[in-house]
Order: sequence, then structure tokens, then C-alpha cells
Amino acid sequence: MNKELELWKGVLSDGTKKSKLEKYIKGWEEKIGSFLEIDLNRGAYDSNESGALAGIPFGVKDNIAVKGFKLTCGSKMLQTLVSPYSATVVSRLQQAGAQVIGKTNLDEFGMGSSTDNSALQQTNNPWDTERVAGGSSGGSAACVAAGLVPFALGTDTGGSVRQPASFCGIYGLKPTYGAASRYGLTAYASSLETPGILARTVATTKDVFDIIKGEDERDQSSLSYEAEGGQVKTIGYLKIEEGALNADVEASYKSSIKRLEDLEYTLVEVELPTMDYVVPAYYTIAMAEASANLARFNGIRYGYAPFMAENPNELMKKSRHEGFGDEVKLRILLGTYVLRSGFQDQFYVRSQKIRTAIRNDFEKLFTKVDSLVMPIFPTAAFHHGSSDLDSFQQKVADKYTCVANLAGLPALTIPSSVENGLPVGVQLMAPYFGEDRLFEIAVKAEEKYPAPQPEDFDLEWLS
Amino acid sequence: MDTKELYHTASLARLELDEKEAEKLSREVSQMLEYFNHMLELDVSNLEPTTHALMKNNRLRRDVVAEQTVDPDEMLENAPDLEDRFVLIPNVL
Repeated sequence: MNKELELWKGVLSDGTKKSKLEKYIKGWEEKIGSFLEIDLNRGAYDSNESGALAGIPFGVKDNIAVKGFKLTCGSKMLQTLVSPYSATVVSRLQQAGAQVIGKTNLDEFGMGSSTDNSALQQTNNPWDTERVAGGSSGGSAACVAAGLVPFALGTDTGGSVRQPASFCGIYGLKPTYGAASRYGLTAYASSLETPGILARTVATTKDVFDIIKGEDERDQSSLSYEAEGGQVKTIGYLKIEEGALNADVEASYKSSIKRLEDLEYTLVEVELPTMDYVVPAYYTIAMAEASANLARFNGIRYGYAPFMAENPNELMKKSRHEGFGDEVKLRILLGTYVLRSGFQDQFYVRSQKIRTAIRNDFEKLFTKVDSLVMPIFPTAAFHHGSSDLDSFQQKVADKYTCVANLAGLPALTIPSSVENGLPVGVQLMAPYFGEDRLFEIAVKAEEKYPAPQPEDFDLEWLS
Repeated sequence: MDTKELYHTASLARLELDEKEAEKLSREVSQMLEYFNHMLELDVSNLEPTTHALMKNNRLRRDVVAEQTVDPDEMLENAPDLEDRFVLIPNVL
């Protein structure tokens, strides 16, 4: 176990430390609102008290099932739902001793880049409470950046772990598709999404990944993990068109490339020819899958039910009308439309072919380079509301992150620099099952440039 | 997308739309569809569609009762309306 987790070990079983943690969390939560539900005691019974991570608290995004905790997905639709079971990734951490202390805020069903699409609560960035923490795993990113927990789980469908990690100045891992079980994740876009990890050090990210990874008989798409080793010598960096990134992000990206050179890697400029078509392809697939996955929410077996309905059809329509937020409705509508007979070839099938093209791009690329470095988002954390970026612009901005989901490749956000008071990260990518390559580069970079800490970050009480 | 198409799609998705919503959503849906049409610029004639990034063969398991991890009664507790152990819905006919 690494030094950071060693420090956190037993915090929840030590009365003095536990009350200090409680006080620390309370102070921060008034400012950032990262948790939708928090309870330092409830999860104790489900965690192995003799495990290596015993007494270590962690947070879980509220679209991942934890038995006995709510599973709201940030939606009015599921506001009162209590999960009767736990996700495999959660159970594995509990078996290792770690304890869930709460469920973190998110964009409704994971649909968004700001966590402002949560129907239940606003989450603020620990670096500047006027700004968003990113999304959709914004709550998980904010609570980790503030030091409330050493790590949290999130989900990444198009960048939802990596972008908030970048906005909050921490590490965020999106594993290879299939490397970590999706059992217990509330399905949004099944062929793209994966559970992910948010943490303040590379060592903790890696230790948590080692626990959650591997085949699960409850997830048909999970795979037994066989690490793709290989030393990293050459790193490709994506050529960026002028003006595509905000000045701050561009400066940060350039300095990351320089730093990797200083670490004696060979850096070469690369291009992904299909890059211009990935966002429409990504959203076509994500929305099509969402429209099918969200069909299960109809107010019958669980979830929001209207006060009055004359017949089952009206019950479903009213439940969905009153229970879903605007962004969710938009995505269901578009997804239903692109799957309608007559339109499938134009949209859905074409997007899946573009998906093949982007995979081919990467396959070629990884014969020349061992890893890739790319920007994450064109801006640093933006202001609440849509004054900086409207919801359409936010979607277009998923360009750099959603490629990893389309191809199923692993990607890791590492903190790069702080520009004008806001952290900015970059992402590293590797071939399938190449997580070790990402960790190897990230550890070297971390020695010189560890994750920055926001004001009021203070873990003195831990030691 | 015109209003008729929008309402038809909404009905297929069991979504009820009020007028204000329909106006806002029709604008946003059209904007996205226009954006999706960029995909038409790319020649995809020689490409096979990818459904899953990584997918091994179909995985089979023995046809036996799996370990029960969820208590059915606990699941029923989340239902909006129950009668004994049955989930209630409004009259079908």
C-alpha cells in the first residue's frame, strides 16, 4: 500500500480522527456541495475490517450502486430510490476494507460537462466556488480535490472522469473498456462507459485500479486483465489547430509537452485524421444507447410516479415528463430519432463506421508511438450557468476526451499547471490494457509536478 | 425537425411535451441533427461498423440458479404502489 493510503488507514475506526474528518468535511461541503448523501457510519458493516484499506473512506458517484445508499443519478426520477445491491467495483473495494462514506453529485444520469445538470444540488469547484467542478463526475472530483477522501469512483462515457479531474487539479483514470466491471453502473451508453477513478496521487489511482480491475461474471463485456507492458520511449502529441484551445489551456498543453521532453521521452507530433467527425459520431451513439437504456424508467417498478394517471401509458408519459430534466429529454428524443426506421443508415450505422475509422487511426498511431498526450477540454473550469459555454458548445468540447471512449482505450488525466488560479490537466493515452504505461509516465511527472492544492486544503489533522 | 416529427418521436419515446418544452427542444434537436450531418462528409464505404470497442466471444455459463445477491422484498420496497407482493398500475382496460 502506498504512503498516502497508509496515512488514511483506520481514520474511520479512530474516534478522534473520525470527528476531525467530519468537521473538515462539514467546512468544505458548505462551500462546494460535492456529496448528495453522506454518512460516516452506514457503510462500516459492508467493509472488511481486516482488509488492507480498512477504515479508509471513499466517495462514489451517485449513478453507481451502493447497497443501503440512495441511487439518485442526480435525477428527480430516482430521488427516493435506495439501492438493494452494490456494484462490483464497490464490493471489491469494500472487500479490501475501504468504506463508502457517501454518494457524490453528477449531471443527471451522467449527461453533461458541469454537474449543473443535476436536478438535486449545485456542486462548486474547490478552486473557485463561482465555477463548476466539471462533469459529469463533478462531485467525485470536487471531494477528492478538497481532500475529503483520498479517492472517489466516477464513470466516464465521453470524458466524465477526465474532464472534472482536469478542472479540479487531480488525477482521473478512464480504464480500457472492459477492464473494470460495469455491473451496478446505471446504464447510459453501454458500449462507451466505464467506471473510473479520481485521486490526488498516481500511487492511489494505481492501487485502486488494481483492486477494481478484472473479469466479472455479472458483466458480459468485462475482460480478464492482461497488462500490455512495454517501456515508453516515444510519446506522440496531438497537433492542435490554432485557436482550438483557450490561451490558458494551450500554454498548459505546451508546457506539458516540454516537461515530458525534459523527462527524456522522445516527443513527436501526430495527427488523427478522423478527429473532426468524432463528436457527432460519439453523440449519435451515446444518445441512441441512452434512449434504449432510459426506457426502463417508467414509474412502475421504481422511480418517480405521478400523482394521478388514468392508464399505464399515461403513467409512463407523466412519470417521464415530470421526472426527467431537459438535457435527458433532449438526448432521449435525439436517440429515438436516429434509431427510427429510415434514419438508421444516415446516422447510427454511419457513426459506428466512423468509430471503426477512429480505431484504425489509433491502431496505426500506436505502431509509431508508445503513448499519446492530448488536451482534455478547450477551457479551464467555467462559470456556472451557460454564460461561458452554452450546452451545445460544451458538447462540441468533448472532442479530445470522447475519442478514448469510441476506441475503448485507457486514458489518464494528470494535473499540468495552474493558470490564472485554475488548474489545468492533460491526458495520456495508451493501447488497450496499457494502463501501466500511463502510470509509468505519470509517476515520473508527479515527482516534479505533484497535484496542486486549492486554498483551505489542509490534511494536517491526519498525521 | 418540424413540430409534427418532434411530437411523433416524443410519443415513440413515451415522452410528453408541453408547448414551451417542444419549442425549446425542437430548436436544440435541429441544431444537433445539423451537426450530425457533418458525418456525411466522410467516405465510410469501406468500413465495417464497430458496436463495441473490445468484445470477446459470447460468454456462456452453466444453466443453474445464480447466487442471489438481492433480496426481492428489498427491491419491492422501491415500487411506487404495491398490493401484497404485486406492483400496482392503473387499469389497463
